[in-house]
Amino acid sequence: MSFGIKNKGLEIKLGGGIVLLYLCWALGWIIYSYFMKGNLTAPYNPVPNLKTELVAPFNSNYILGTDVYGRSLLEMLSAGLLYSFGIALLVSLISGFIGLVIGQLSAGDKNIIKIPSDMLTNLIFVFPSILIAILFMSIVGQSFWGLVFVLSFTGWPAYAKIVRTEVLRVKNLSYVECSIASGITSMGLFFKIIIPAVLPVLLVHLFLSMSGVIIAEATLGFLGLGGSEFSFGAGLSSAKTVLLEAPHITILFSLALAGLIMGLNLLGDGLRDFMDPRNKIRAQK
Amino acid sequence: MSLFFNKLMYFLVTVFLSLTLIFFLIRFAPGDPVARILGPNAKMEEISKYREQLGLTRPLHIQYFSYLTGIFRGDLGNSLYSKKKITTLMGEHFLPTLTIAFFSILLAFVFGVIFGTLSGIYKSKTFDHLARFFSITSLSFPVFSLGPVLVYLMAIKLKLFPVSEWGQLKHAILPVLTLVIPLGAIITKVTRNKYLEEVNVPWVEFLRAKGMDDRGVNLRVLKVCMPTILNIVGIQLSVVLAGTMITETIFDIPGMGMLLFESIQNRDYPVIQGIIVYSTIIYMAIYFTVDFINEKIDPRIGQKK
Repeated sequence: MSFGIKNKGLEIKLGGGIVLLYLCWALGWIIYSYFMKGNLTAPYNPVPNLKTELVAPFNSNYILGTDVYGRSLLEMLSAGLLYSFGIALLVSLISGFIGLVIGQLSAGDKNIIKIPSDMLTNLIFVFPSILIAILFMSIVGQSFWGLVFVLSFTGWPAYAKIVRTEVLRVKNLSYVECSIASGITSMGLFFKIIIPAVLPVLLVHLFLSMSGVIIAEATLGFLGLGGSEFSFGAGLSSAKTVLLEAPHITILFSLALAGLIMGLNLLGDGLRDFMDPRNKIRAQK
Repeated sequence: MSLFFNKLMYFLVTVFLSLTLIFFLIRFAPGDPVARILGPNAKMEEISKYREQLGLTRPLHIQYFSYLTGIFRGDLGNSLYSKKKITTLMGEHFLPTLTIAFFSILLAFVFGVIFGTLSGIYKSKTFDHLARFFSITSLSFPVFSLGPVLVYLMAIKLKLFPVSEWGQLKHAILPVLTLVIPLGAIITKVTRNKYLEEVNVPWVEFLRAKGMDDRGVNLRVLKVCMPTILNIVGIQLSVVLAGTMITETIFDIPGMGMLLFESIQNRDYPVIQGIIVYSTIIYMAIYFTVDFINEKIDPRIGQKK
């Protein structure tokens, strides 16, 4: 069994390494576009230029060549990465927060709050989130906050379910019963006991849901419904039209996206296995 | 109350609530769809006339009522672009989507369960490592990046399959492959984990002690794993539906996805609404069927809730 545990450590290290690498890339891009270009009005946006359409890679000016609109591919990828990462983090944090509150409510004692919040969670959980997002975005149009809203709207029930299970588990532990018996207020219970207990599980799901959000966002971008033209999905959609002439654009976009998703998945899976109490029992055997 | 009736009621209530939620989500979405349809140069009178035509000026409860009855009568109005009835349009495009989605789910299920079980049986052996590597890798490629890569490798480089044609069975191979790879990877992963969870429990050891051979034991373990696997398929179904639609736009297949994509381009928003509403109903019908089958296989599932 020791092999299995070592393997899980490997998953965390590998995933964490990949995610860290992407974070460095994003950070490097922010610093580069702020200090080197000095373009503060549109600091992160590569500029279209029809003169430099589809320049091949390893050119002196463009390391990875340019895309259909003559924008540097490296800059497109960097901007797309920053955008994907930002939206994934924002959506995950918002839906995590809503999930924490609703999950806590649906694990409470009062039926009048418990039953409706439980029903709402289950209803939106079975919602086909990506289909709803397509419909919503086709009405709102290209909008960053619209995208954040609709992805958070369909994303929180998963967190709420996890929080609910975890709160119900924690409430039966003796140290919590002790604090309730010694007269802790319900606010104190929530902030001092529930949140610290739930946070690790919530963080693990954060990584896993981030990759889901990135895929959803890129799907919408591919259909022309994203919040920005720098989305990986939008990039792949425009690369598809020149697949015969310039397949490297499609491949580069795919690899950049796949690496990001893989890193987040590995990190999330590894951390989940690491924290699962059943694995600890198995390891002791 | 019988289980079937119970599930049916739950299904109907969920569908009703979802349709209601979709209606209000659309109505209270920021941005005016009419202004978007007519473009930025439209005059105010034109916009208000168009709103009247679409029935958007009526009171909200009447709009809501006609929306609901329209869905159940199969009458969602006409396309703004081709002026055809929406249900007719969807009927014309339904078959390719159904074919692709059906074969993808079937193949992904068969291969996923087989590979997952084998990977569980040969845990930490070469096969297991290979299967896990492939499932992690293919889960990282969403349909819309895997599709073009496959087209480039299989159709342009190796010239194995034709692209952008539809009508014969061989035209469906590449699109189905695009969908099978990620879905199969998920099923492989879930089957492997669930198999490993179930294979060391006391009753399995009892079966072995009684002298049952490996094949019999594995089949019984697999039966216990089935609800979890089916549940994942059910949850993944909305992703598969969306994936099928996206695959169609990559391979130029005249299915619902193509209709959806064209409607998005033309801002033909009643058609988009129709496709999404009916996809939601189909998705939920299958989701609840899976739930029903699961409880038939393993009655403990119903009691846990």
